[in-house]
Amino acid sequence: MTAPAGTPGREAAMTVSLLDIQDLSVVIHRPGRSVAALSNVSFTVAPGEVVGLVGESGGGKSMVARAIVGMLPNGSHATGRVGFDGADVLRMDPADLAAHRGRGAAICFQNPRGALSPTRTVGRQLIDRLVTHQKMTGDRAAESAKELFASVGIRNPGRRLEAFPHELSGGMAQRVMISLATGCAPGLLIADEPTTGLDVTLTREILRQFRHAADTDGRGVLLISHDLASIAEVCDRVVVLYAGTVVETGPAAKVLREPAHPYTRALLRSVPDVNGGRVVPTAGGMPLMTAAPHDCPFAPRCAHAGEDCRTARPETTSLTDGWSLACFHPQETALFAPQEAAPASPSDPAPLPDPQGGSSVAPGASVTADNAEQAGRVVLRVQDAHVVYRSRFGSGGHHALRGVDLELRAGETLGVVGESGCGKSTLAKLIMGLVEPSSGSVAVAGKTVGKMSRVERTRAQMVFQDPIGSLSPRRTVADSIAEPLRAAKVPADARAAKTEAALSRMELDNSILTRYPHELSGGQAQRVGIARALVGQPDLIVFDEPTSALDVTVQAQILDVIADVASDAGHGSVFISHDLATVRGFADRVVVLYLGRVVEEGPVDEVFDRPKHPYTRALLGSAPRLGESRTAEVQLVKDLDEADAATGCALAARCPFVTDTCRSQEQTLQSYGESRAACWRVPELTALIGKSA
Amino acid sequence: MAALEMVPVVSGSRDGRFAKILIWTGGTILVVVALAAIFAPLLSSWGPKEIDPNGTLAAPGGEHLLGSDGNGMDVWSRVLHAARIDLGIAICAVALAVVVGTLLGMLAGYLGGWVDDGLMRIVDIFQAFPTFILALAVSALLGGGFVNLVITIAAVNAPAYARLVRAEVRTLREMQYIDAAKTSGASTIGIMWRHLLPNSLTPVRVIAPLNCGWAMLTLAGLSFLGLGVTVPTAEWGSMISLGTSDVVAGRWWTSVPPGLALLVCVLGFSLLGEGLQERAEARRR
Repeated sequence: MTAPAGTPGREAAMTVSLLDIQDLSVVIHRPGRSVAALSNVSFTVAPGEVVGLVGESGGGKSMVARAIVGMLPNGSHATGRVGFDGADVLRMDPADLAAHRGRGAAICFQNPRGALSPTRTVGRQLIDRLVTHQKMTGDRAAESAKELFASVGIRNPGRRLEAFPHELSGGMAQRVMISLATGCAPGLLIADEPTTGLDVTLTREILRQFRHAADTDGRGVLLISHDLASIAEVCDRVVVLYAGTVVETGPAAKVLREPAHPYTRALLRSVPDVNGGRVVPTAGGMPLMTAAPHDCPFAPRCAHAGEDCRTARPETTSLTDGWSLACFHPQETALFAPQEAAPASPSDPAPLPDPQGGSSVAPGASVTADNAEQAGRVVLRVQDAHVVYRSRFGSGGHHALRGVDLELRAGETLGVVGESGCGKSTLAKLIMGLVEPSSGSVAVAGKTVGKMSRVERTRAQMVFQDPIGSLSPRRTVADSIAEPLRAAKVPADARAAKTEAALSRMELDNSILTRYPHELSGGQAQRVGIARALVGQPDLIVFDEPTSALDVTVQAQILDVIADVASDAGHGSVFISHDLATVRGFADRVVVLYLGRVVEEGPVDEVFDRPKHPYTRALLGSAPRLGESRTAEVQLVKDLDEADAATGCALAARCPFVTDTCRSQEQTLQSYGESRAACWRVPELTALIGKSA
Repeated sequence: MAALEMVPVVSGSRDGRFAKILIWTGGTILVVVALAAIFAPLLSSWGPKEIDPNGTLAAPGGEHLLGSDGNGMDVWSRVLHAARIDLGIAICAVALAVVVGTLLGMLAGYLGGWVDDGLMRIVDIFQAFPTFILALAVSALLGGGFVNLVITIAAVNAPAYARLVRAEVRTLREMQYIDAAKTSGASTIGIMWRHLLPNSLTPVRVIAPLNCGWAMLTLAGLSFLGLGVTVPTAEWGSMISLGTSDVVAGRWWTSVPPGLALLVCVLGFSLLGEGLQERAEARRR
């Protein structure tokens, strides 16, 4: 058994640790199978310290959180110790546990709106909590509820206290959740994926709230996330979990810049970078452990694995400064070259057998000369398209798209970015003919979408956000992939041949054909989804957030596949994402949407390196960057839901550079060099930003 | 060292094994009843309508295993043969109700608009009456006989399936795989048949066995009141009805055996249905 070798770090020596997990193992017994959810996990959290707990799904992050609040699932057997303020949470009696849950450790859940009771106002829920746990009187509680709301950055707290959970946006609900958790003055605040599902501009804001809680009130914070890059900024230390084991622990800056464990490196390399840095995928997926591992669980996916990794489990060894890791072959080369994110040394793991790997992330190289004339044809033309979702009763409705113009040629890839609610998904549905334009027109390969026959409509294909949900649960993989061919009345044997061809391009084995969606992993399902889109050789493929539901390393594999597919000359691709970095990877041109309008468009490098519109600048400034400290250029002043613009520029309410002209009149797209932007203040903007900084 | 001892969290909820026991028990009961129905002539020496002129209201034992009724017909033989009618009508009626209800529910749920409004108002009318009163009215209208009884009981049960499937389809039609099917050029009928039908039947699979039990009770009730199957055809409800006066006189054997048969059969369906429901829930966890 691996004992925690040496006390981890300085912090533990300097201050008394608040949370002290030692050698924690959890095995969950279910009829027919058992799962080793955690194996010999040890780490500490000190008061005033923010510790990030990172890893992909299945790594055991949530199980750690559950163990800390004494809520392990039914049928689990735990060994080890979850020390909290001198007591052991695993062995507490129910009364102590109840007190511990409110005042000792409090959790902020991933889905804040689901964790708030829907029929009571958020103020009521907060005040109730204060009255029970803090023994406050009603008036006193109402006062401090207001203070708590203000402290998490809620404007107009008095009014927000009266709100019901469904009236709040995701960001606002997460803030309420934080105030609920901090309200009982817990020693430890646990945040389980607090920013998943939030927009980039909000993510940083929410993460700062946790840093704030640690700095001002001296709470310990355990920040759980799958995304190392985005939380690293606010963390003091990070703990990386893989298959229920701690693979690397250390100071955030150290682990982020010079990770030594191959898994941490794989994790970081899988994240696309806004600067256009290359994604290096790592093949395979996380194994499901049935018993505590006797070897290195990462060995099958690791390029550095030797015989020793497969026969013995590496002990956790301390390096310097509280940095420790469990690996026989720690890596020492820098992950990112200074300044530029260039492909790192050749010894790095890139074991994906991909013959076309070179074509992955080179936007310019997508159109080859011999396909030039085919590549020239226009495959998508959207002209002044408006979409209004009308409510069933009476007038009114939601104006989702307000005059969008797009043109796309075969061989080209168009990136569409924007925050949630900006009309990205509506645009995808519009192109696919799933919603009708209220005015304007959409044509795929020269034919108006509304007037197409069923077979003609298969000329445009879509890859969906939820890989498993986009496959019919009771249809086999073969059936799903062949669906577009069935509509085109392709005979059965030709169907089978084409299906297999599409499948082999996705590097999937034929044995998968007879399986059902629930038997697939997320990555496999998305490959099947892409195969379905490809099989009929369409003119246009729309990728609607194809990787946002996937784990980081799987995301990198799928992005690699998509980059290859998108570079085909035969069809055009539209790639929709809220994540700017993934778009930068392989789009030729990019369109930035804001509240149903195109606010900026142009060649991808132009827009990303020399953004014109304040909104684009704000988005780029909020995107996490690896291996460098960021400089936020533009900070939007409010959340999206608070900004309602009746006239004038849609961004007026949130823009720091707003003028009276912006409030009264809307600017149309104007050319600035290679790109176009819709903003009155573009010419002065560089000077304005210089002044404010 | 305290840290080395294991801390178990006790499993509070039932697991798949419980479901398995329920399904097996229910299934076994129904198989036994079905076999008894099929091999009824081999299991009894008397015919179901055969009258023993010398032995009216004979006590159990002797020539008649479970005695004979007021008409001199063998109770054991009639109980066995009645299983054919009861089981047959109940299963056929539920099958018909499932087919009709699913079809209506799918049309209403997927097409929406006035189709939905129209179909659902009709369903409302059916559901506005208490089930048994409606069954009485329909059977009074149609009369007895195997086919008419199947139609009667199906008509009473179909609206529930229509609602169930409609609700299911309304959720399913918003799923991404339906959008995926549309963009793959599937026709409306194709989407309904290939994607909505197989996915919307999950709750129906659970409800249908339970429903068979209720259908059996409805049939017995109708027959008891003289609207269903009538003497001399063997049916449990009418047998109980015929034997009510005998019970007062202490001759329990004319009505207790058919009553027990009914109980066991309905229990079988209930266990099967409950088991399927448990299994569905266990899988969801």
